[in-house]
Amino acid sequence: MSVKEILGRFHEIAADPKAMKDKYLSEGREIVLVNYYTPEEIVHSMGAVPMGAWGADVKINEAKKYFPTFICSIVQSAVELGMKGEYAGAKAFIIPSLCDSLKVMGQNWKVAVPSIKFIPMTYPQNRKPEYGAQFTKAGYERVISELEELGLPRFSDEKLKASLSVYEEHNRVMNEVSELMASHPEISNQERSDVFKSAFFMLKEEHTALVKELINALKEQKPGTDKLKIMTSGIICDAPDILKILDENGLQIVCDDVCTETRQYRASYKEKATALDSLVSKFCDMDQDTLLYDADKTRIDYIVEKAKKTGAKGVLLLLTKFCDPEEFDAPMIRKACEKAGLSVNIIEIDRQMVNYEQARTSIETFRDLLNG
Amino acid sequence: MAEEQVKKHRTPPDPNSAKYKLGQIAAKAYQDAFDAKVRGEKIGWCASNFPVEIPETLGIAVVYPENQAAAIAARGFGQQMCEISEADGYSNDICAYARISLAYAKTKDCEGQQVPMPDFVLCCNNICNCMIKWYENLAKELGIPMIMIDIPFNPDYDVPESEVAYVKAQFLDAIHQLEKITGKKWSPEKYKEVMEYSGRSSRAWLAATATAKYEPSPFNGFDLLNHMAVMVTARGKKEAAEAMELLLKEYEQNHAEGKSTYRGEEKYRIMFEGIACWPYLRATSHGLKDRGINMVTTIYADAFGFIYKDFDDMCAQYCKVPNAINLEYARDKRVKLCKENKVEGLLVHTNRSCKLWSGFMPEMSRQIGEECGIPVASFDGDQADPRNFSEAQYDTRVQGLTEIMEANKEG
Amino acid sequence: MYTFGIDIGSTTSKCVVLKDGTEIVSSSLFVGGIGTKSPFLAREEALKKAGITDKDISGTAATGYGRNRTEDADFNVSELSCHALGAHFIFPRVRTIIDIGGQDAKVISLSGDGKMRDFLMNDKCAAGTGRFLDVMAAILQVPVNEMEGMAQKAQKISQISSTCTVFAESEVISQLANGVEMPDLIAGICDSVAGRVASLAKRITIVPEVCMSGGVARNGGVRLAMERYLGTEIRFSEQAQLFGAIGAALYAFQKS
Repeated sequence: MSVKEILGRFHEIAADPKAMKDKYLSEGREIVLVNYYTPEEIVHSMGAVPMGAWGADVKINEAKKYFPTFICSIVQSAVELGMKGEYAGAKAFIIPSLCDSLKVMGQNWKVAVPSIKFIPMTYPQNRKPEYGAQFTKAGYERVISELEELGLPRFSDEKLKASLSVYEEHNRVMNEVSELMASHPEISNQERSDVFKSAFFMLKEEHTALVKELINALKEQKPGTDKLKIMTSGIICDAPDILKILDENGLQIVCDDVCTETRQYRASYKEKATALDSLVSKFCDMDQDTLLYDADKTRIDYIVEKAKKTGAKGVLLLLTKFCDPEEFDAPMIRKACEKAGLSVNIIEIDRQMVNYEQARTSIETFRDLLNG
Repeated sequence: MAEEQVKKHRTPPDPNSAKYKLGQIAAKAYQDAFDAKVRGEKIGWCASNFPVEIPETLGIAVVYPENQAAAIAARGFGQQMCEISEADGYSNDICAYARISLAYAKTKDCEGQQVPMPDFVLCCNNICNCMIKWYENLAKELGIPMIMIDIPFNPDYDVPESEVAYVKAQFLDAIHQLEKITGKKWSPEKYKEVMEYSGRSSRAWLAATATAKYEPSPFNGFDLLNHMAVMVTARGKKEAAEAMELLLKEYEQNHAEGKSTYRGEEKYRIMFEGIACWPYLRATSHGLKDRGINMVTTIYADAFGFIYKDFDDMCAQYCKVPNAINLEYARDKRVKLCKENKVEGLLVHTNRSCKLWSGFMPEMSRQIGEECGIPVASFDGDQADPRNFSEAQYDTRVQGLTEIMEANKEG
Repeated sequence: MYTFGIDIGSTTSKCVVLKDGTEIVSSSLFVGGIGTKSPFLAREEALKKAGITDKDISGTAATGYGRNRTEDADFNVSELSCHALGAHFIFPRVRTIIDIGGQDAKVISLSGDGKMRDFLMNDKCAAGTGRFLDVMAAILQVPVNEMEGMAQKAQKISQISSTCTVFAESEVISQLANGVEMPDLIAGICDSVAGRVASLAKRITIVPEVCMSGGVARNGGVRLAMERYLGTEIRFSEQAQLFGAIGAALYAFQKS
């Protein structure tokens, strides 16, 4: 397939996760919903397909019965989709308690969507000491026993080990493709987003194969003319309108600190006595994230360093409305970037946006500023 | 907490009363911290549900930014402090306590409530994860160490052993870190003493708040909003135990004499859900009193009874504070309070500042209403930012609630 | 050399004819923005006033929300860049521009030579925008353009604490019911808008001179309140509404 064809395939998948869900269901596979840092590897090792549930750009009606207005729209729209039957057929939803909105999401999910079992994943925030690792492991064991109770095949460490290899390879190709896309300005921001987003709706071995095809095809392709390089940061960056505005203004995302993009692929597994312990080590080693306790605020340094390293001239902070962890970091990010000579533009986004004119004005001005 | 604000409208309390003594304990805590700072000791800013037993046993003076923010808000300085943080780039969607506290960390001055500047911060997220981000920023901005005890939200009804083990290990770690920072030493004897006072305070508190079962209730529930500050921060002190026991005695005596701190005829009894609207304490309290409504109970009545037999048990107790528990457990605690105290209606504060507390409250209050057969009304407000409350809306909602309670009485 | 700037906003259309990048020869302003005849009418009038025709124009730049819909322009430039250029043209010493329009509020920081250094826009809330004033004016049944005059008569500025437009509405109504005087109330409303935008502005280091632009800038009540909040004098020009169009004409000059 050509680069365009492969990217077209990623787009199809990213734009219609329901079709993927139906495909897997028709093949007799079980589906388990996941988001943030849920232990997908466990689900995968037990023969089910982990599918990302990060909400969608839909109007929130039904979920309003459960949420006050000031809870983030990622959480609210996921519950909305659940109530409307968009996830029908899924066996369970593993919801971590990494932020206050996710905590309440789990509680509301139980009542709002009883047909899809809520499986809590309680992570420690003090994840560096040994007791943090122990607690992480206890959380994973609980997820395993709940999945077994739902009738999934029994867990085996051997199978998990095989799944970790699949995920490790996926991690590797995602980091590789991310860098490669940065050197190909002809790839639009929408296409870049599709590569990341589709990963949530496919078995990782299948995604890996497609990404490898892209890598090979891209290596054959002559890079297009340079655009203005920027870095993005936030929880999500998948709104087609925003991506289109960035494309129209000649801005190219060359790296990101987006939760649904490269933040997923930063940590790797350490060699441990069991595969489950290796999986634990991956979470415990994770850093530079809004949702994970870090008194040194290394996420902020990470953004500055990453932007400088990749030659990004500015940082676009896509602040998810009502995401207080991200909101707490925003002033420090702005300051640190300014100090490092990087321009920052902060745009509030949510999954309820209909009018993008303000975002357009803001992005255009950002472009002018970077062109200085 | 916000004691002065309430006092202004009343005759000065009797210095031998529990109310006066409790107010003194809260005020003294601030003074103690100032004095310790002057003596050159290291002092901390501490999260409200951080295990108070730890600084108390170590003899470390701490102040509570949440209480400070509530006092600042109750005294009318909330907005100006919030605006200082907002000018620094903090979104106005962020918890107003955090915005006020971050502003104070910058200005180091607010006549609403002064506190000494910290040498370290003690954080615990059993009430919300927002605490983590808030304290991270305090530590980073002030360049001081942060001690973090992570007590995760428990999705189950009971506390699993793995959680108790995780929490206990952190308590021990926190003690070691504090010993290092302050040079003070942990004493098991002192801990035993603290545990005993804490138990005495807690038993007295639970018994005092339980006198709401009498009709009429011997107290106005708004009293609890003031007194709980002592339960949160000072319950391991001798004076606190004594003052709480005195409070219980007074309430029993009130009942015996047919008196109450609730002025006027108690026509309706409600439970109030959520943190107080500190900037509008008067408006919210009068809105009830004008209609003969007494708020006889809140979750605080149950929440701050920390009774435990040893260190491990104490760790387990800290895993059960109101915002760390699941929908079913949280609901059942409230249903129990409603039934025991013959509550006729539930008034819910949808608190813009508190995502965790408000996030599954619509469902929880629906379930409480159904199980207790009582009407539920909610209003929008904020614990400290005066810009998120509408007196007109509050009044309409309370009126609606009253009308249903009235109709229910007529049956 | 003549260049032409056109600013098509959501509610008005503005045009400027500039000679040699230094002299404003004519300008026009029509109520009605995107999707109306106003952009066309404004253009015709500005040309007529300048006594020139299309053929005399060396370059045209468009800005504002409607800039992409006009085919007559050689360039289209973002709104804030035009505002910065336009403000710097009128006030050569300006370093900070506060623009409050119907839909949003913006703060632009300029370097000494008039280059845009940084900018901020309001969040999703309508509290610090012209929309807030419109809603309040409708409740009080006072035309928006009379608010300034009434605010000046205020004896004691009332406090409108709510930032939420819906809450502010009930707050205003209950203050009215409590007998608060209309001028005091209107001054309070202006104060509230200024307060919101001031806290946005403070996120950028405010360097004088400061000027205001945008439709709301015409409201002296808001300007005065803003001066109080920021503790600095605020420049205002009757031509503030033309900043965008002037900037566009300047841009066209620089590029032509």
